[in-house]
Amino acid sequence: MKLKILSIFTILSLILSACSAVEQFIPGEQVIVSIAYGSEKKEWLEPLVEQFNEARNQTADGKTIVVEATAIGSIEAVRGILDGTLQPTVWSPASSIYIPVANAEWKKNHADDLVVGTPNDLVLSPVVIAMWRPMAQALGWPDKAIGWEDISLLAASEEGWAAYGYPEWGKFKFGHTHPAYSNSGITSIIAETYAGLGKQRGLTEADLQSPELIEFMTGVESSIIHYGTSTGFFAERMFERGPSYLSAAVIYENLIVAQETKRIGSTSSQVPVVAIYPKEGTFWTNNPYAVLNAPWVTPEQKEAAELFETFLLDKPQQLEALKYGFRPADPSIPLTAPLDAEHGVDVSQPQTILEIPSASVITGIENLWRTTKKPVDLIVVMDISGSMRGDKISTARSSLIQFVQKLDDRDRLRIDLFNDQITNLTPLTPIGDKRQQVVDSVSGIFEQNNTSLYDATLKAYQDLQAEGDPNHIRAIVVLSDGEDTVSVATLDEVIRQIQASEEEGGNAIKVFTIAFGDDADADILKQIAEPSGGKQYDSSTETIQKIYDEIATFF
Amino acid sequence: MYTPRINWFLAVLYLLAAIGVFAAALLFPSFRSIAYAPVRELILPPPEPVVVSVLYSTEKEAWLNEVITDFEATNPTVDGHPVQIELEKMGSWEINAAVLDGTRQPVIVSPASSLQIAAMVDSSTVKFGNPIVNPADQTSCRPVVTTPLVLVAWKERADVLWGTQPGKSLWKDLHNTLIDPQGWAALNHPEWGYVKFGHSDPLKSNSGYMTTLLMTYGYYGKTSNLSASDILSNTEYQQWFLETESSIGTFEYSTGPLMEKMVVYGPSTFDIVAVYESTAIEQAENAVGRYGELRVYYPPALLWSDHPFCILSTDWVTPQQTEAATLFINYLTSEPAQQLALLKYGFRPVDAAIPLEQTGSPFDRYAANGFRADLSNLPDVEIPAGNVLNTLRDFWSRNVSR
Repeated sequence: MKLKILSIFTILSLILSACSAVEQFIPGEQVIVSIAYGSEKKEWLEPLVEQFNEARNQTADGKTIVVEATAIGSIEAVRGILDGTLQPTVWSPASSIYIPVANAEWKKNHADDLVVGTPNDLVLSPVVIAMWRPMAQALGWPDKAIGWEDISLLAASEEGWAAYGYPEWGKFKFGHTHPAYSNSGITSIIAETYAGLGKQRGLTEADLQSPELIEFMTGVESSIIHYGTSTGFFAERMFERGPSYLSAAVIYENLIVAQETKRIGSTSSQVPVVAIYPKEGTFWTNNPYAVLNAPWVTPEQKEAAELFETFLLDKPQQLEALKYGFRPADPSIPLTAPLDAEHGVDVSQPQTILEIPSASVITGIENLWRTTKKPVDLIVVMDISGSMRGDKISTARSSLIQFVQKLDDRDRLRIDLFNDQITNLTPLTPIGDKRQQVVDSVSGIFEQNNTSLYDATLKAYQDLQAEGDPNHIRAIVVLSDGEDTVSVATLDEVIRQIQASEEEGGNAIKVFTIAFGDDADADILKQIAEPSGGKQYDSSTETIQKIYDEIATFF
Repeated sequence: MYTPRINWFLAVLYLLAAIGVFAAALLFPSFRSIAYAPVRELILPPPEPVVVSVLYSTEKEAWLNEVITDFEATNPTVDGHPVQIELEKMGSWEINAAVLDGTRQPVIVSPASSLQIAAMVDSSTVKFGNPIVNPADQTSCRPVVTTPLVLVAWKERADVLWGTQPGKSLWKDLHNTLIDPQGWAALNHPEWGYVKFGHSDPLKSNSGYMTTLLMTYGYYGKTSNLSASDILSNTEYQQWFLETESSIGTFEYSTGPLMEKMVVYGPSTFDIVAVYESTAIEQAENAVGRYGELRVYYPPALLWSDHPFCILSTDWVTPQQTEAATLFINYLTSEPAQQLALLKYGFRPVDAAIPLEQTGSPFDRYAANGFRADLSNLPDVEIPAGNVLNTLRDFWSRNVSR
């Protein structure tokens, strides 16, 4: 009898403990707070999202708050929000600089602003020029203040680093992200505009007509190796590939601290990198936390979003930000290590900022940049073998057309189609003169026969080296859905050819490869893309458009 | 033999008296305290509180919240009814707007300064036919703590701009520096860029408004007799004023966040800001060892944020509420509340018996940062008539507001 009671008790205890263990997996009523944020604060934010969600915080009505955060370029997010493809509860771009532009665009179709009032800052970091320490020292750092003027001189110099006694460093290779996607891109071109005009405030639309400004901006942009979608990604590239790839890039101070922390901790073997605070002035990234005044944000989402904001602004989370190299928004936290010279930064800087121009002037600067940016010489190499039949060929066609529409008039485009043969659809000439004709031709592409991936890639590479303008960004986009079946050339030959251009560093031809569908050999395509400084993407008929969009940010 | 009868008689008498007291306490709560406490709490319903609603400006939020707890601990009552304070914070000018348009009917208004009270006298006379506040009556309307508007600047830069103290023509000098296209380069410091001055939004924040008023006095080089025509009819003044304002990038919605930005962003973003002395004290500790030395500078003529507490004389305020409100205001000016305001929150007490430079006071702790207890050598500017104040606000709203 006693045993029976004990057994029942044990079973009951097990059931009860199982219930409480399972409880946390039962969703119950939830409020989802989606956050679109700039990628530069990923390392700080993501663990905090996890911590907040694990604590199962609740709204006043007892609903569990679930935060879903997605890293996306600050300006790219605005475009998504405006066209309705992105509907976050909270937008936390890198800085407030683009909020007036977002509001102006939003108000074309809505009564009120998208971002109302002044959102709170989460964390701060100045926009800086990251440069390898030996290179900065060659320019006179840290005794001499360096600015956009020096960058412009270096960029325009035919001699490059040789003018500073370092011919072995080659040409000056510069980078900033794409202004249509990323906050650091837009701040770079605004800073260039001020420097080109010798101003620090009071920019007007009339200023943008200045021939001196156009010349200055064209000069700086000529040293760009490529653009890119987000600042975090750009910094990653610079720190991964080293000084031969990129001499300097516009990023945020916190990313330098993060890199130097890795280097000091021996998880990166790069040379040291330092922050240059442009002497003409710079901008702050303040990471505003904007709960959107949009029809899709419900009052309970707003309440939940504000609770998460309070959590982020609490002292422990602000102290955590310091570890990742941010300057906390909480004034009671002193600016101590790792914000120090050892980590490549100087908290007494910046000494001055540039005035944020009006929304219309910012839009004018974006338009001006399109005319001064470094053009691209691009060869698209597209697989039209028999295995592409069905949805594959049709989505490949339509996404290529969208891609073509994104190129600027001065960009030069060639398209090669390959199966067991290589057919040239259009030669390497400016797209402005032939856009519609190219679109019509792409619409008529159909699939047949075998795959000669290596031959087609090698030919494009060799031709671009011969025909491409070294003063342009040079790139190849290869789309393939299967393994090579009939090429004369081998994979090794293709890789050898690409590696032979290594001394060109960041200015070498970049190969972007798209493994289209499950049968594509992603590994081979990766071996082709990575040594060039390009990137390999896995893609399907659903994602191909997005991948083309991302590749477009490099140009 | 008679003892039990007398005892009975006394017991009945006592019972009747007790019932009488309890009945009276029901009708008149002031009798409540006579009733036997344990029974009283059991059988009598709690008396209705006298609610004193206070619309107050945000700068004194922390102090007020702390003081209210202390005040309620003294169990204040009016005719036996407990006094209950209900606080609602708002921008100083928003308080005026909310009372005048009828969206709020408070017992007490407490904007950041007597400027809003003067404006309310004017606006409420226009709206209701007579003023709903009476600043001349010290019992119903008086300041409880004060703090002057000051300039806070990075010492290194202030040294270059005006040396140890700004001169008598501070506002005119500042205007000239702000509009100089060369900025700091004209003073041999090109690395500091253009000169960056900040004040808060005058339409939302009292300190911003006080700055524009001090600037206007500064332009005319006087400390009294400012008229509406000084603002509306002098195009040279208007150009001067608008040039200064156009040099300011953004107007923060409130004083606290402006001062916080000064500390968090450092000299890159603001060289000089106009804030309350108490706000500067609040951030003095945070500023240490951050971006260099931050100092406070007193303008050549002072304007005070004096936090008046004024009981409204309107039909929605009952005599009991007036009495309760008076108790509350008296408590605010009592020694413990005034000491707390000074030592913890950096306000100047209105109680002259409390020394400013006592040990532990911010005027003692931060004297090296330029905080001065004695400002008797600086004149105060006169608070102009309500219509002048409203004219300046309208002028700013039409020409500067973005």
